[in-house]
Amino acid sequence: MRDGEIDEILRKAAARVPDVEAALLKRVADSIQPSMRQVRPLPRTWVLAGGLVLICAGVALAGAARAGFNGFEKMNLLERALIFSTLGVLAWVAGTEFVNEMIPGSRRKISAGRLLGLGSLVLVVMFALLFHDYHTEHFVSVGLVCLATGVLHAIPAGLLSWLLLRRGFAVSSVSAGVVAGTLAGLTGVGLLELHCPNFQAMHILVWHTAVLVGSAALGALVGRAQRFRVRDLRRMS
Amino acid sequence: MHLDSNLEMLMARYQEGDFTAATVLVERISPQLYRFFVGQFSSRPDADDLLQETWLRIHRVRHTYRPGEPVLPWFYAIARHVRVDHYRKAVRTTAREQRLEEMSQLAAPAPGETGKGDDLEALLAPLSESQREVIEMLKVAGMSLEEVARATSSSVGSVKQKAHRAYEKLRERMGPMRLRKGQSEEKS
Repeated sequence: MRDGEIDEILRKAAARVPDVEAALLKRVADSIQPSMRQVRPLPRTWVLAGGLVLICAGVALAGAARAGFNGFEKMNLLERALIFSTLGVLAWVAGTEFVNEMIPGSRRKISAGRLLGLGSLVLVVMFALLFHDYHTEHFVSVGLVCLATGVLHAIPAGLLSWLLLRRGFAVSSVSAGVVAGTLAGLTGVGLLELHCPNFQAMHILVWHTAVLVGSAALGALVGRAQRFRVRDLRRMS
Repeated sequence: MHLDSNLEMLMARYQEGDFTAATVLVERISPQLYRFFVGQFSSRPDADDLLQETWLRIHRVRHTYRPGEPVLPWFYAIARHVRVDHYRKAVRTTAREQRLEEMSQLAAPAPGETGKGDDLEALLAPLSESQREVIEMLKVAGMSLEEVARATSSSVGSVKQKAHRAYEKLRERMGPMRLRKGQSEEKS
């Protein structure tokens, strides 16, 4: 059987689906009429993504201004250029994808899971290339402090990002949560790179990268909770 | 192409608060969305409810459509969200009432039970949920691969792969169906 024949069968079957009742169409039109008013479309993707990157940079810089730029001062020029330009590019990609997640029918360049995977991989490779001191000291205790600091700075970045895109509509709240969490996690990593003077390779590879993964997981949980909250509110109404 | 640009123009006027444009959009888009819901095994009352719910959601988030962007993927992405939401709720309710057996029958009806073997629901029955929606959008709604990818939040490659696998399944199913039909025509 050729594809054309299948197309024809499907087309005929679709033509047999009964029409929508005129009364239903009228009911739909009547239900939207009372709230008809002009609405302002969302700005272009690059404008919103630019806003998100600025928010993330602002939160990371504010956090480092409070905690100290110890890490940044200890870095050489190559480390500074490579780390912050990479974080900037990743934040731009994550910001663009977050905007796409909040606009139905947008073109997706990368899925939420792949974005997180790619982001983590890029960070691991970059840190492995730049830091070679594999000696470890207080690996867990110091690492947990960095993880907590990073995630605590990711939370306000995530909240402010959501505030900027609050007029959007996520067709998949879990996926949007992962992308928002990844973007917020990059803020946490940025802050740690500015502040943390511990250049032990394993510390940076494990704990700084874990901020990205932890933050994305937190975003997924918030997205999932949001899905149930919206449904419960709808049921109550 | 002309129809699409016409829809985009209507959508822009809808955003400006033009009720006439909104009514025309409801009349133009609803039959497509209705077929989409029916093709996903929704009963007629369910499809009616889903259509109304979709339009309420469309109305609430109409500012998220940006002029110049293709309009059909925007409509279908919202319709798909409403359908998935409805399906999850149905599964949850059914699980609560411990009527999973009935639900599985509802989710995959046998061709003979849905009416004619060549009904849209019956034809799409052997396909997975994601394959059904891809075929529905591509072949019934006449959307492009790019538009389907946008509506389903996936890549063009993934849409192509789903469509290819769906056609393999449809070919397996429709071959014997056509043979039986030919035999019955010969007898009569």
